[in-house]
Amino acid sequence: MMKLFSLIENEVIKMVFKKRLIFVFAILIVLISVFAYGQNKTLERTKAQLTHRMGITATDDWRKLANQQLIDMKNRLDSPYSDETRKASTQVRMEQLQYNLDQNINPLEQSAAKFTTKFMEQAIFLFLPLLIIMLSADMVSGECSSGTIKLILVRNVPRWKVLLSKYLTLMLLEVIVVFLAFVIAAIISGFFFGFGGWLAPVATGFKVLVGKLDTTGVLNVPQWQYSLMVYSLAYFVAFVVGSISFMISVLVKSTAASIGIIMSTLVAGNFISFFLSDWKITRYMFMVNLRLTDYLSGSFQPIEGMNMLFSITVLLGWAIASIIVSFVYFTKQDILV
Amino acid sequence: MLKKSMWYSILTIACVGFIVLSIGFYQAIIVTTAVNPPPSAEAEVPQTSPDSTKLPSKDANSFRVLILGDSVAKGTGDEKSKGFSSYLPDYFKKNTPKDILVENAGIDGLDSIGLLEQLQSQKLAKTITDSDFILVSIGGNDIRSILTLNNLAKDDQFKVRLDSYLGNLKQTIKALRASNPNSIVIFLGLYNPYAKANGIEDTRLLNTWNYNTQLLVEEDGKAIFIPTSDLLKFNLGRYIAKDGLHPNSAGYQALSNRISKSVEMIITGS
Repeated sequence: MMKLFSLIENEVIKMVFKKRLIFVFAILIVLISVFAYGQNKTLERTKAQLTHRMGITATDDWRKLANQQLIDMKNRLDSPYSDETRKASTQVRMEQLQYNLDQNINPLEQSAAKFTTKFMEQAIFLFLPLLIIMLSADMVSGECSSGTIKLILVRNVPRWKVLLSKYLTLMLLEVIVVFLAFVIAAIISGFFFGFGGWLAPVATGFKVLVGKLDTTGVLNVPQWQYSLMVYSLAYFVAFVVGSISFMISVLVKSTAASIGIIMSTLVAGNFISFFLSDWKITRYMFMVNLRLTDYLSGSFQPIEGMNMLFSITVLLGWAIASIIVSFVYFTKQDILV
Repeated sequence: MLKKSMWYSILTIACVGFIVLSIGFYQAIIVTTAVNPPPSAEAEVPQTSPDSTKLPSKDANSFRVLILGDSVAKGTGDEKSKGFSSYLPDYFKKNTPKDILVENAGIDGLDSIGLLEQLQSQKLAKTITDSDFILVSIGGNDIRSILTLNNLAKDDQFKVRLDSYLGNLKQTIKALRASNPNSIVIFLGLYNPYAKANGIEDTRLLNTWNYNTQLLVEEDGKAIFIPTSDLLKFNLGRYIAKDGLHPNSAGYQALSNRISKSVEMIITGS
């Protein structure tokens, strides 16, 4: 047990000194700064457009507008002709408006909390997996190409323990990446939009019933909790993508090939569902199931048979299969370097 | 030493992070899969049946008015929460001693296809049969979203929307007449609530829309098209609510007054 612990320690130190984590850190800082700046610009333009189109200063007059909307929604709830299935979402919307009014927050405004959540919702299906690949794709193949694998294997440690230490290191670093993404996004966007917004209510609880978006169970959760759920799902995605690319790194000897394979798979996955939407089998691919946060926000296109549990099961299946393949192959293969 | 402390701090962050993320993951699954009682199909039946029987059966001492359509029909925007449902009877009362019974079936955000589906679902069939007047306001939600397009795309989209709208409207009137061939159908035209969008192009589109609507509506001998854009054009500040889209209380009153004038003879005469 102690041996495994020090093996992991060794792997982590190696990772840090290979400057991989520093690269991830730098990429996050640069990209998040650019996104936050862009968001800020968009926000200004939206305000200008609204003012231009509506003829009222949408930015100053929002309290009156919100009050009006509140009254209308209350009427809608009371009306006998209102749609039963929409009641929950109307109620949720009313709670949000009321919160905005009570706390004097213009719903148009961004906040660090909103941005941090949005960032991960957008990053979860491509950007975050790419960061994880940077760490995982050469974990084993890198040792093969540089020949250091021999030095590791001649020591008195069973092969599975070597691989396990590498895998656990990867899982550990995935937490660090998700954590870094959160902290950096929260701090940088804080400078642009102010550090608040963590208590604002966010609607969630959408479900899919027989291929249709069901909003009867919608409820508000505070933004911090919503953020936590988004980042947890992001970690799950990181874990799955990490496992798969770890497997490829075990199977393929060259680092470049390993990165190429997993990256092209991911990129292809982003438009495969677009081209092959009628082809049922695509939904068992891991790439089309990565947008887990869409289930939280209810912004997905309901597809028959796809829901949160389905996606998580598929992803988990891929991860477990990858781990098994990695360990079986690594302990059985001949290493001829 | 540096290595050791770095390793331990990474390990600590990772372990704490892992536990926190696991909790979050559990919550995320619960919140998206937790089973709440599915809305029973039966819930709709008791809800709609009182609506269609709420009004006493047809008699000679009352007028029944049915209001159909979008948020304007419903009265959205009125700071007193009244809308046509309460102003129309007020104005009608000036010309007749009879009771005025109003049924408002307006739904926010309804577009022409929605109205058609509402009628085809037959939930309102009895109410329609009993009505003497049917006020319809529809179309605003069909056309509203094209305002943000550029002029070229706007023209194309406009033609598409207008065609599908007219098709739906034709079916709607047919459905209304199937239930009740005798009632007076009062159809409200569209107005432009945006002070800034009153260029030649936008005005032309609005007029094309209203003109085509009027042609179609008044093919029916017992239907009347009530224009609204002229009344609101220079009075936006006075008649449009804070949301910059719907009429306010004064706006609804002005429109109700206009409607009651248009059907004055029918009300006093019968």
